Amino acid sequence: MALRTEELILNLGPQHPSTHGVLRMIVTLEGENIVEVAPDIGYLHSSVEKMMEYRTYVQSVSLADRGMDYLAALANEEALLRAVETLGGITVPERAQWLRVIFLELQRIASHLVWLGTWGADLGATTMFLWCFREREKVLDLFERATGGRLHHVYFRPGGVCDDIPDGWVEQALAFCDEFPGRIAEYEGLFTANPIFEVRTKGVGVLPRDVAVNLGASGPVARASGIAFDVRKAFPYEKYAEVEFDIPVQQAGDCFARYQVRVEEMRQSTRIIRQAIAKLPPGEIRAPKIPITLRLPKGEVYTRTESPRGDLGVYLVSEGEEHPYRVKIRAPAFSNLYALSEMMRGWKIADVIAILGSVDIVLSDVDR
Amino acid sequence: MAVTLGRVWQGAQALAEGLRLTFTALVRPKNTVKYPLEKNDISPRWHGLLALPVDPETGNDQCIICFQCERVCPSRCIHIEATGRGKERVLTRFDIEMDKCQYCGLCVEVCPTEAIVFVPHYEASTYNRANLLYSLEDLHRAAPKEPVARGVVRGRVL
Repeated sequence: MALRTEELILNLGPQHPSTHGVLRMIVTLEGENIVEVAPDIGYLHSSVEKMMEYRTYVQSVSLADRGMDYLAALANEEALLRAVETLGGITVPERAQWLRVIFLELQRIASHLVWLGTWGADLGATTMFLWCFREREKVLDLFERATGGRLHHVYFRPGGVCDDIPDGWVEQALAFCDEFPGRIAEYEGLFTANPIFEVRTKGVGVLPRDVAVNLGASGPVARASGIAFDVRKAFPYEKYAEVEFDIPVQQAGDCFARYQVRVEEMRQSTRIIRQAIAKLPPGEIRAPKIPITLRLPKGEVYTRTESPRGDLGVYLVSEGEEHPYRVKIRAPAFSNLYALSEMMRGWKIADVIAILGSVDIVLSDVDR
Repeated sequence: MAVTLGRVWQGAQALAEGLRLTFTALVRPKNTVKYPLEKNDISPRWHGLLALPVDPETGNDQCIICFQCERVCPSRCIHIEATGRGKERVLTRFDIEMDKCQYCGLCVEVCPTEAIVFVPHYEASTYNRANLLYSLEDLHRAAPKEPVARGVVRGRVL
């Protein structure tokens, strides 16, 4: 006689410590196996898009910092200002463009370090958490010296950056670039060959390439599924066309592949920072005659940038006022989050946290 | 069975490697500070609390009541009121709601006379929310005791 079984609906979150913010997952279980996962979002909705309609473009920069992806504030500023500068026809001076490249890549390293550390903590490796945050502090110190803020900088302005870097900053950044690859090797020493880590991640949560394309996944999640797409290469902005770097691609599409892609991305970011520092020209850091209440011409524009989480797009409509008529943010974490149910289906309940952590979602980016 | 033994050997190797790394970290210099007793140096550009530095000779601040900081503030936390006309115009109210402030630094950037500056101070926690409404006297008191040299804040010499 067969056992009578029934499906169990389990509610994970929104206050679960491993859900990286306030994500609620409604997991349908058949015994221990996952039948369906429905992410329920909206707990961190801060209405950034609407608030931007009532603020000038310079004020919106500070909003993009904290309202969107709080782990990659500079990437958000860049995404918003790409749209503003494209629509307004503002040319950014050379030095400011190189500075932006340096800061964006430092931000990518900082964001990936948070991801690696917290994912390690999810999988039970507390050492990883402490080590990653140790290096992240060094990046944040660099940010603090140049921008005055550690997490929320308000450093980029329409037409350039706010301040030039202080004396000795370049040496400090280069010292970090010298030290950091050795640290990445340490992380890999802890993780890559570790059998416990392998068992928990290799082959777990596979996202096939065609599914990733259909769901609009981008960034490291898509690159781990074999899609060699990076906005920095495909649609170069700022000075990314003039630096050499590789797009790390893995074919497996599992958690381990996503880990490999991100770790390699940190190495590539270090490479970009070195090149950008070598090419940093002297000169102006801000385009002249950009008023603090900037008025953009009537029109609309869609621009995309590569944030640490993927393809971050901003659609901006201007009616010729001081503030935008409408801003729509295409958040990478949102699309990546909806690949979650595809990744988790068929796996055990114990794998939920490993798979969720590997996607690198930031709920403030998902909800905006 | 051979596969299992290989697996065990691999696990032992990985364990040894992990322990080697953690033990090397043990003898490295420490990265942490005992926070309330020791403090990290903060950058001169630090977005700390806001202040209105006072000129010790005249006892006045540099504010010319142009309302630019009030207008540019994204969270609208600065409130300025003034009476009188022309040269007799005096500041009757300069309040900053520090609980609303997001430390973006736009007010410091637009100020034409460097009247409002960031001070490298960050411990503003209090038990009463009303204490976070900083009046003009509070902002004068929060200012650094030595006069801030002109150009240092704006030109970011440090």
